[in-house]
Amino acid sequence: MGERILRFSRSWRVQHTLLMVSVILLVISGFSLKYSSTPIGRILIFLEGGFEARGALHRISAFLLIFTVIYHLIYIIFTKEGRREFKALLPRKKDFSDFYKSILYDIGKISERPEFDRYSYREKLQYWVISVFVLIMILSGIILMFHDYFFRIAPKWLIDLSLAFHSWIATLVIIFLILWHLYIVHLSPGNFPWNSSFWDGYVDEEWLKENHYLEYKRIKGK
Amino acid sequence: MKFLIILFLFSQTPEDQNRRCLLCHGKKDFGIMEKGEFKSLYVSYKDLKQSVHHKFTCVTCHDDVRVIPHLIKPRKIHCLQCHFEGNVIGAPVREMPEKYKESVHARAKKEKGKKAPDCYDCHGIHNVRGPEDTLSTVYKENIPETCGQCHKKERDGYENSVHYKGLKEGVFESAVCTDCHREHDILPPEDPRSTLNPRNVVHTCEKCHADVKIMKKTGVPVKQVEAFKESFHGIALEFGVLKAANCTSCHGYHEILPSTDPRSPINPANLAKTCGKCHPNASQNVAKGKIHVIPGEKEAGIVYYVYTFFKIFTFAVILGLIIHIILDLIGRFRRKEIAGE
Repeated sequence: MGERILRFSRSWRVQHTLLMVSVILLVISGFSLKYSSTPIGRILIFLEGGFEARGALHRISAFLLIFTVIYHLIYIIFTKEGRREFKALLPRKKDFSDFYKSILYDIGKISERPEFDRYSYREKLQYWVISVFVLIMILSGIILMFHDYFFRIAPKWLIDLSLAFHSWIATLVIIFLILWHLYIVHLSPGNFPWNSSFWDGYVDEEWLKENHYLEYKRIKGK
Repeated sequence: MKFLIILFLFSQTPEDQNRRCLLCHGKKDFGIMEKGEFKSLYVSYKDLKQSVHHKFTCVTCHDDVRVIPHLIKPRKIHCLQCHFEGNVIGAPVREMPEKYKESVHARAKKEKGKKAPDCYDCHGIHNVRGPEDTLSTVYKENIPETCGQCHKKERDGYENSVHYKGLKEGVFESAVCTDCHREHDILPPEDPRSTLNPRNVVHTCEKCHADVKIMKKTGVPVKQVEAFKESFHGIALEFGVLKAANCTSCHGYHEILPSTDPRSPINPANLAKTCGKCHPNASQNVAKGKIHVIPGEKEAGIVYYVYTFFKIFTFAVILGLIIHIILDLIGRFRRKEIAGE
């Protein structure tokens, strides 16, 4: 058993937890409206305290999400650690070749394991896809929430369009969270049943060596 | 002389019995002065003979008249003296009188002592005809006139409506008063059981407006109800948020007009005002875009294209992500990370 290495700082974990809680609440309160005609939707709305309470819950969670986004922006702009993490998350040419190599490696065309830095193409995709989705959700959500205001300045179809975006992107968010995020960080063999680093921040040395070899080397090289 | 008496006895058919009544009541100017006003006591015998009660005599109903001419005022009679469960005359008994008892009309009469219609105010007195008889007061086409005897303002509004126009142009399915308000169990809209309770309005309109056959006949789009039910207004109403708009909030009720009519609240020029009832900032912008939107249908315009794109895109994303998972699992399996040594 190797030593435990701190991978995620406290701030990082707090942001993740805020994001997780707000997104889960938003998904539950949002999908109970989208599927309100189904028994599950009805049960969820009942559990949320009724139709109007569901709306309130959705808006409160939305404010929590917006707060998280602002927190994150301050973090990546004004803190040294945030700027470093953000830089590590920027997509590079290597990510595309890593992706390609990973596939070749999986199907056995190459025997050399691609070496990843702190964030591999997988985590980067996760970060950027969720960022774009959250941005669209917030923008379309603001239009829907303040439709009374937007009625003055925007045509009705913009509100219909926002609704279409809000609903479809929400569907994509949940698909992406389950089939990509949850799979690669928790459910995939090697991480199953869960990777506790999102909570305590620590990973095993072995795990780091296997999944983020370049970062492992850098830490060990110090 | 004997012969005449026999002839007289044999000719005692119901008509002849009634003839004795008609000696007075058959005269058009027959009447009495009551409380300083002339009250006509004329009965159109022709009406009675063409009614559903044609085979009965006057005294079948006015059963306290034993001697003709009668010296005292006969008592007031009521339909229920025959139309009750277990009557021996064979008068049909149905659930209508029971339903009527709950109605606004019956309650206004009974609880508040107001002047409100009883059976005969709608069905007629001597001229009771079946609802399928075109001369009946309760024949579909005559219902607006029948209800309009009291509800004059509502009738006038209705007569401007597209429903009345349809009725007159031979679309027999066009709604008249009773199609929305019901016939006997007319309840106030505040009553949750009422067909016109905000929660039930959409189901009332839906009876016809989601019927493909009827709507095809009139050229009215049939998907509007479905689109409404899926809209936020529709869902909120379904969950009992009664302040949400229902059909009548925008379309009006008695005087429903097509959007092409400049007087209609749903005419594009009037939409800002109509939506403005609830959405204070509504401007001309609300007319830009379809109102009853089904995103999956081409009429939805830009929303349709976005919707269709996302439908395909989402499918592709699911497929891609699953392929990625499978590749990852294949890789791990090959390297014996799973079920490995």
